[in-house]
Amino acid sequence: MVNPPASRPNVALSDDELRAIAQHLRREPSTVELHAFDAQWSEHCSYKSSRRHLKKLPVSGANVVLGPGEDSGILHLGEHDGERYGVVVAHESHNHPSQVVPFEGAATGIGGIVRDVLCMGAQVIAVADPLRFGRVERPHSHARYVARSAVDGIGAYGNAIGVPNLAGDAYFDEGFDDNCLVNVVALGIVKESEIVHSHAPPGADGWDIVLVGKATDPSGFGGASFSSVTLDSSDAESNKGAVQVPDPFLENVLMRASYRVFAMLRERGVVAGFKDLGAGGIMGCSAEIVAGGGYGADLNLDDVNVAVDGLPPEVIAVGETQERLLWVLPPELTASVVGIYNDEFTLPHVAYNARATVVGRVTQEKRYVLRHRGAIVMDVDIEFLTGRIDDELSYVEAIRHDPGHRELPAVDVEDVFPKILAHRDVCSREPLYRRYDWAVRGTTVLPRGAADAGVLAPVPGSTLGVALSVAGNPRYGRIDARAAAELAVLEAVRRAIATGARPLGLTDCLNFGNPHKPERYGELIAAIDGLGHAARELGLAFVSGNVSLYNESKSGAAIPPSAIVACVGGFRDVSRVVTPGLKRAGSALLWVGSRELAVGGSVLAEVLGIDGPLPEISYDSERAAIAIVETAISAGVMLSCRAISDGGMLTALARLAFDARNAGRRLGAELDFGNPLCEAGGFLCEVSDEGLVDVSGSLKVGTTIGEPRLVVNGTSFDVAALYDVWSKPLTEIYP
Amino acid sequence: MKRRIAVLVFPGTNSEDETLRLLRDCGGEAELVHWSRAQRLTDYDAYVLPGGFAYEDRIRAGAVSAHDRMMDDVIAGAISGKLVFGICNGAQILLEAGLVPGTGPVRRPTAAFTDNGPVPHFVCRHVYMKLAIDPSRCAITAALPNDAAIPAYAAHGEGRLAASPERLQEIVAGDHLAFVYAHRDGRIDAAAVPNGSALGCAGLVNREGNVLAIMPHPERDGWNFNHLDRQEGNDVLAPSGGAALFRSFVDAVNGR
Repeated sequence: MVNPPASRPNVALSDDELRAIAQHLRREPSTVELHAFDAQWSEHCSYKSSRRHLKKLPVSGANVVLGPGEDSGILHLGEHDGERYGVVVAHESHNHPSQVVPFEGAATGIGGIVRDVLCMGAQVIAVADPLRFGRVERPHSHARYVARSAVDGIGAYGNAIGVPNLAGDAYFDEGFDDNCLVNVVALGIVKESEIVHSHAPPGADGWDIVLVGKATDPSGFGGASFSSVTLDSSDAESNKGAVQVPDPFLENVLMRASYRVFAMLRERGVVAGFKDLGAGGIMGCSAEIVAGGGYGADLNLDDVNVAVDGLPPEVIAVGETQERLLWVLPPELTASVVGIYNDEFTLPHVAYNARATVVGRVTQEKRYVLRHRGAIVMDVDIEFLTGRIDDELSYVEAIRHDPGHRELPAVDVEDVFPKILAHRDVCSREPLYRRYDWAVRGTTVLPRGAADAGVLAPVPGSTLGVALSVAGNPRYGRIDARAAAELAVLEAVRRAIATGARPLGLTDCLNFGNPHKPERYGELIAAIDGLGHAARELGLAFVSGNVSLYNESKSGAAIPPSAIVACVGGFRDVSRVVTPGLKRAGSALLWVGSRELAVGGSVLAEVLGIDGPLPEISYDSERAAIAIVETAISAGVMLSCRAISDGGMLTALARLAFDARNAGRRLGAELDFGNPLCEAGGFLCEVSDEGLVDVSGSLKVGTTIGEPRLVVNGTSFDVAALYDVWSKPLTEIYP
Repeated sequence: MKRRIAVLVFPGTNSEDETLRLLRDCGGEAELVHWSRAQRLTDYDAYVLPGGFAYEDRIRAGAVSAHDRMMDDVIAGAISGKLVFGICNGAQILLEAGLVPGTGPVRRPTAAFTDNGPVPHFVCRHVYMKLAIDPSRCAITAALPNDAAIPAYAAHGEGRLAASPERLQEIVAGDHLAFVYAHRDGRIDAAAVPNGSALGCAGLVNREGNVLAIMPHPERDGWNFNHLDRQEGNDVLAPSGGAALFRSFVDAVNGR
């Protein structure tokens, strides 16, 4: 590789992009402008290599109140007391920061996603975190350090702000040794008539731009472009400067003060704009919030509350100090809003020089102007700055690894099943999530870990319920990026349905390698195709999402293709929830779902050291299975239910038995099924009325019994002993 | 006329909404009182200190908050016999303020809720807290049955009662140990204790019986929808479970 000339500025912009900027400006860009374009045109902000493919995802539908484009999407939940309620949902990644400084990286991931939901005018009601870590078995490995510290960071932040951790998953795989994935999802609840948008409203010419929150400091400078390059462990020290510093204590107060501002704006009947400061800092947020309304902006960086004097203007402009938000307000309301933050909620006493302060105004002229010490340090066409840029990269069709042989292995269940329950991707996640507060707010119906999805009753005095589930199996991704993305959609949806929820919509985070490598780019495109196809087949839309590329180390090892999906579900009456665990002896166990069995990508295959094809996907059987489950629930015959995933049907049955045991019910089951460890999709259902057995698409596979044993084709397991095997392994990592 | 309950909000408090909601659903006339709007705190008849991380748990959980000026009124109220009920971070504040067990001078704590043991980590776990005193020993528990087991969530990083052997002896001898951790069936053993707390302590009461400090959160398991598998009655929105303790508190405030 040829080294760039010494005069080349230290930014991630390509030579072509630098030329395009100079050509447009008809001069060399200033230092501030250079860093502004560097942030704004990074993949993180611009989606320049993924946008053309993301357009293929379905983004509209009956439930969609607000699709992708603002800080969060919104799905219609239902009505209560004459008001329509929406669920606000956002999904992001904080992968790069979490690999370098895991505690702070993961914590600021929670902080950022919470502000994305907050700024829609919503009460924040839940967070979730799909996690992918490397091999944690070695006691002093970086992977173990990352896995521990990221979890502690998520807990420290979410616990302090008082938002329950509702859902999540964790996989441990060598493919994530050098690049962990820390995805974050947040949910909010909002009256649909009170949504606040992330852009300046009509008539905002001359309105105030008000910065709220932490004093700007040098942390997080270059964060957006840092997230858009390949990590190199030799840069570890310099990369740390790009990671932000979390202050959940301040965020807690900012949230509560913002709720107060929402109430005041409602009383006055004023529509304002509100947006989180994320990538690109003050510049990125202010440019996008005004450009979204068709305006320009004129800001004075000297008016920004700073933590240290003498910060260069480019650091003030694009640095990614956390816990900041930006309002666009009519001038007659500015003093009241500033008063709520600074006097009623005493921001300056909560954190050093934190406050709400006017930093500029909205302009009719579509220029983006920054001033510093009396000089103009940036003056560009705002549409050029925030406009859609598009990289056409070359790609190769993603490989579908097909080992060819399709026969199922003969399995010694007595020997293999305990190994599967103890497998790092199957065993209990409780040692991990018990470090999170999953019950704060008092709205919990099914808490984290109790079922396939978490469920809340977020509207006081209402029976409306919200479910949240996540999915994305890296073992599938390694075999076939497209099928893995489809299966992630199916699994997330099944998980929500298994609790009795109606699926309302989806979010995605696409975690992939370097898009400039045609193989990696091909995987990304295949996964987007898979997500779109599965969502269309199920009649669902993606309302929020994120792309995280460059998840590979300089040695060239990329992560397994990881399309991670979250499904938001709804209940009109949350008392219809399918509660956890087997309920009584003598009920029928039904397998509802496609009859295609396969071992590819399964935990069984890994334990046996074999490979095989992925399960075939049949959307006809999937829709039929969903209809059967929904009918059984509405008919009141569904006693308990689990989606079948990692570890197969027998693992799903064990989980139902464990949940019964935890509730003090001495129950077990007899299972009569040939391949109970294959990871076929579908549901395992305990039903009180076998009338459903005749419906095509379900198969009776067993019966519950009044003693805590699982009897599988004649082999008998003690539920307590299995529970011991399943519940222990992660306590070594999370004591 | 109903007596008024103030739910105190310090910077960093995070459980004020559900605490307020359950107090109201149990018949209490309660409102939030915010740290910058606390001039009329003396007008209230009882105080509830909810959970959270007030003042970021700097120094030690509750240590800074105990010196907040809101606590001047709470301490004066407690001495004059008003009911004071602290939950989790609120309990830590009452301990740091010296109001429970109340065996030393004000703001000179004789015990602490400190780092969980044996592993010093935040832990979130469903628990039962069993009444370890005669119900009438504490005004706030007076309406509970003997040996009541209140369902709740423990969710804290600093919930382990720690004190010198003499001070622990004082707590036992003075009948200050109001609640201990228990299993669902009321059994008491080390496995029921989520944090290594001395004496299995989940809650403490002062000598006069008007100040109660509990570490677990009954308000997070306070409605039927929080525990559909052990629902009481048909109304999914009705208070139940952990609400029993809140009802007893509200009854005591209203002099019933």
